[in-house]
Amino acid sequence: MDKTLFSYKGIKPVLAGLAILTVIQGTIIIIQAYFLADAISSLFGRDLFANVFKKLAIFFLALVVRQLLTVWKRNISYYFAARTSKELRESLLQKLFQLGPRFVKEEGSGQTVTLVMEGMMKFRRYLEIILPKLMNSAIIPVMICIFIFFVNIRSAVILGLTVPILIAFMILLGLAAKIKADRQYESYQMLSNHFVDSLRGLETLKYLGLSRQHINNIIFVSERYRRATMETLRIAFLSSFALDFFTMLSIATVAVFLGMDLINGKMELRPALTILILAPEYFLPIREVGADYHATLDGKEAGKKIQEILDKESLQQKQDPIPLWKSTSTFTFSVKGISVHFADSDRPVLQDIQFSVSGSKKIGIIGASGAGKSTLIDTLSGFLTPSSGEFQINGKKLTTLSQLNWQNQITYIPQHPYIFHDTVLNNIRFYDPEATVKEVEKAAERAGLTEVIQSLPHGFETIIGEGGRSLSGGQEQRIALARAFLSNRPIIILDEPTAHLDIETEYELKETMLQLFNGKLVFFATHRLHWMLDMDQIIVLDQGKIVEIGTHEQLIRQHSTYYQLVKTQMEDL
Amino acid sequence: MDKENWIFPYLRQYHGLFALAILLGPLTILFGGALMFTSGYLISKAATQPESILMVYVPIVGVRAFGVGRAVLSYVGRLTGHQFILKILSEMRVRLYKIIEPQALFLRSRLRTGDILGVLADDIEHLQDFYLKILFPSIVSLVIYTVIIICAGLFSIPFAILLAVFIGLLIFVGPIISYIYMKTKNEQLKRGRHQLYQQFTDMVFGISDWIFSGKHATYIQRYETQEQKLLELETKKHSFVNWRDVLNQIVLGAIVIIAIYWANEQTLRGEFSPTMIAACGLVALSLVESFLPIAGAVSETSSYQDSLKRLEAIQAESSLPWIEADGWKDSLNLSQVAIEINHLSFGYTSETPLLDGFNLKIGQGEKIAIIGRSGSGKSTLLKLIQGALVPTHGEVRINGMNAHELASAVPKLMAVLNQKPYLFNTSVMNNIRLGNPEATDEEVYEVAKMVQLHQMIIQLPKGYGTNMHETGSRFSGGERQRIALARILLQKTPIVIMDEPTVGLDPITEASLLATIFDTLKGKTIIWVTHHLMGVEKMDRILFLEKGKIIMDGSHQQLFESEERYRRLYALDRPLYNLQSGKAHAGRSPSLDTG
Repeated sequence: MDKTLFSYKGIKPVLAGLAILTVIQGTIIIIQAYFLADAISSLFGRDLFANVFKKLAIFFLALVVRQLLTVWKRNISYYFAARTSKELRESLLQKLFQLGPRFVKEEGSGQTVTLVMEGMMKFRRYLEIILPKLMNSAIIPVMICIFIFFVNIRSAVILGLTVPILIAFMILLGLAAKIKADRQYESYQMLSNHFVDSLRGLETLKYLGLSRQHINNIIFVSERYRRATMETLRIAFLSSFALDFFTMLSIATVAVFLGMDLINGKMELRPALTILILAPEYFLPIREVGADYHATLDGKEAGKKIQEILDKESLQQKQDPIPLWKSTSTFTFSVKGISVHFADSDRPVLQDIQFSVSGSKKIGIIGASGAGKSTLIDTLSGFLTPSSGEFQINGKKLTTLSQLNWQNQITYIPQHPYIFHDTVLNNIRFYDPEATVKEVEKAAERAGLTEVIQSLPHGFETIIGEGGRSLSGGQEQRIALARAFLSNRPIIILDEPTAHLDIETEYELKETMLQLFNGKLVFFATHRLHWMLDMDQIIVLDQGKIVEIGTHEQLIRQHSTYYQLVKTQMEDL
Repeated sequence: MDKENWIFPYLRQYHGLFALAILLGPLTILFGGALMFTSGYLISKAATQPESILMVYVPIVGVRAFGVGRAVLSYVGRLTGHQFILKILSEMRVRLYKIIEPQALFLRSRLRTGDILGVLADDIEHLQDFYLKILFPSIVSLVIYTVIIICAGLFSIPFAILLAVFIGLLIFVGPIISYIYMKTKNEQLKRGRHQLYQQFTDMVFGISDWIFSGKHATYIQRYETQEQKLLELETKKHSFVNWRDVLNQIVLGAIVIIAIYWANEQTLRGEFSPTMIAACGLVALSLVESFLPIAGAVSETSSYQDSLKRLEAIQAESSLPWIEADGWKDSLNLSQVAIEINHLSFGYTSETPLLDGFNLKIGQGEKIAIIGRSGSGKSTLLKLIQGALVPTHGEVRINGMNAHELASAVPKLMAVLNQKPYLFNTSVMNNIRLGNPEATDEEVYEVAKMVQLHQMIIQLPKGYGTNMHETGSRFSGGERQRIALARILLQKTPIVIMDEPTVGLDPITEASLLATIFDTLKGKTIIWVTHHLMGVEKMDRILFLEKGKIIMDGSHQQLFESEERYRRLYALDRPLYNLQSGKAHAGRSPSLDTG
């Protein structure tokens, strides 16, 4: 069935244990049927109930033991599933941190959360149910069939033959259903998503004056959806119909033939009854394979998806010793011939990047959309490892900046700094949990947050972030700035921190930010040209290459890419 | 439990299908029982070695009939159940839509994320499971229970009572205890999961911060500790289910033994022939098994209650009614539309007013930019102009009529271009045509040309027939806005409201989009909320809002000459203008050729 199942750690002893218990269980099932049949046929032969009671007691005991064995088996697979998913989850979390923000963005944050939280749960459930089911269907029918074979060959043959017929039909019908479903998959998908699509776009519909008449659409599509679904179900349910039909027919046939043998005196009641009781037990494990179909499918899918992520190439954060950045002019950071490739294209996103900075310099990074600004920022932050080239930090050569001791020196401020669901205090001291309240207050003051925090209902103890008190974009940036003031790390990397802010907020923030930059190494990627006037050096990117480096005045004078970029932006519409 | 309810009204409405589904369920199980009964009877009868095979002819036929019948009934029953539930789902969707539609413009602020809408749609799908997995099986069990007790009662009252008690253990006592036990456990689990979910979402969104802080090992540890706690809870649930199942089997065994004992007694008394013993034993085994899953199903009821609660909550919150139609549309003059705002104040209770004594007149064709920080009252002003909010004091008049009384006429008067225009999961053609459903293909091509997308669209694999979502990332932010603009052009309204349509676009895309916008919207009134000053030179007036009041008002030229603050802000957007301010004139592009 699912070959990856056998690759999980410690599955072999689990399977062996389950197999042994299942064999015992199969024996118990036969005992249970035998003694029930024995009791009934004794009573039929006018035996006293008191004499028969012992047999019934054995039947009863077998019933209970059988269930206890089921419990035991369930426990084995439950704990195995819990253990395996725990291990898998740990490596998945590890992997997430290695893959970093680029992966989360590609995959979608919502998707990632759903996969780890729900996908894991589904996967665990899948492991839990699939193992006993596999064992049951592989062992129990065979045992019962062999037992019946020794009692009555014909019955065993009927039961034995039913299974391949049944499977053949199920496959045929399953295929038919799939073909049918595939054929209308597109329209089916569209119909089923139509309602959500309508709700999400409701605001737009309202603006267009269509929202009210759209209800006719919803009724119409819902009806079409219902009809399409019913058509598919009519075929999909046929496979369980076939299962039912052949099972029942087979049991009925066995019963009739047993009856014939009994009439002809070829057989006694007890073995006949035993077979009749065993017949449904024979089919039970096979029928159970089909149950929980969706849980199985979902879990399998989730498992596959998790494995895909685990198999992804990623960079392990390294722990090389890296000298702490100093703001002296002799302390240099150089990038030498860096190129970055993405797996899905052969054209490099960054090509032969080369520059060198020293001491506390402010470096602006500018270029049109798609020129490679974000890629360069991600490389400098250590979220991407270049395919060639190297870095030098005061002479120390490195092939990647995915380094604990480099990232520890960086404050990173993105367009939307993330505010954690926590107090203002803890949000500001996220990087330095040991900071005192006084230190946090000072950082908040420098970031221009004092007034805002005072206006909050619980001051520094107010919960902010998702589900808490909401802050404006400018206030969120100030929280990030306060974090930076508090941690006082020597390197600051910024990626479009003001693009989404209104101009007055940007104006107010600028002063604070420039203060923060003092005495630090700053990499600042942005479209907003006014920042360039405050930069010591500007790196101009175009189609993944550095085309110019220099101060604003130098670059303007060169009348090249930077000049064109500025000119386009300064032109009237 | 009146009309608010999301379950019972539908049972009444589709009582026919419901009754059929309920009838077929027990019949299926009873046929299964009958199959075992006749088989048992057949075999026992055969064991008496009757003279001729004809003596067992009826049970032989019976066995086959019940066997095949069961399969057919089960098939028809499932289809009927789904037919019933899908009809209900259709109704529920329409109902949910009618609840949400009137509040469409407030959804974003009220429900925070657009995703809650997806959640609501899912909730309806969840209710489907409630019907299929809990309601139907429970009713079916009750019916079979009744049938069994009545049948037994026909022969012997004490036996019937005994059965009633034992089976009652399976379908009443077990499920009720399970429900109570699971309810608290499920709630604890849900709370734990929710907490973990929140924490994890926090981690995923703040992943860069975690990496830079170098603390991610601690995070994983903390996460795992919490998962461990949840696992312990689940383990408790797990062992509860295990023991419940063992007890169920004990009861099942007891019932089978009782049935055999009773059948034997009847035989001894001569009321039954001995052939009935096997029949009774087997039928007991088969029927009682059908009761076993009930406890599990009922104990999960609480998982559907969240869905129900959310749906009921959204209905309870909806203050605005669904309006079928109103008679506006024809009586409007669309060529000249004047907006007049007098002494307008608006505020939600107990808060400082968002707008305070606001006055503004906008004539046909005037172009106005509105700038202000978040919370300055911009969006509230737009909603008041659109008539979605009713002023606390003062008035917003559109051609002399109160904006909030215009209702369905508003989309004829004003179109809206907002930050994230929604593109529907249908063809590009249909998406544009939403602006005017009666537009011909040629008219659609025409507007697509105007927004400069025609060339790009005809190069798509299926041209205008290409599905919007299949195009994936092929439509960039700027292009999506252009599609929305094309819609608005088809809508042909005298007023266009723009709510920061260029946020998130890079300056070059922004400039070219704005150029297209101003070019195509000539002659229309434009009310444009913007976050910075690119393009404001094209406006007749620029308004700066602060705390619900206008603090600067005038054309670019006027403001630039008279307001120091404006000059400072302008310098931020046009830095090189500042650099060479000696040479350039206000409102004109600075000459760069001097360097």
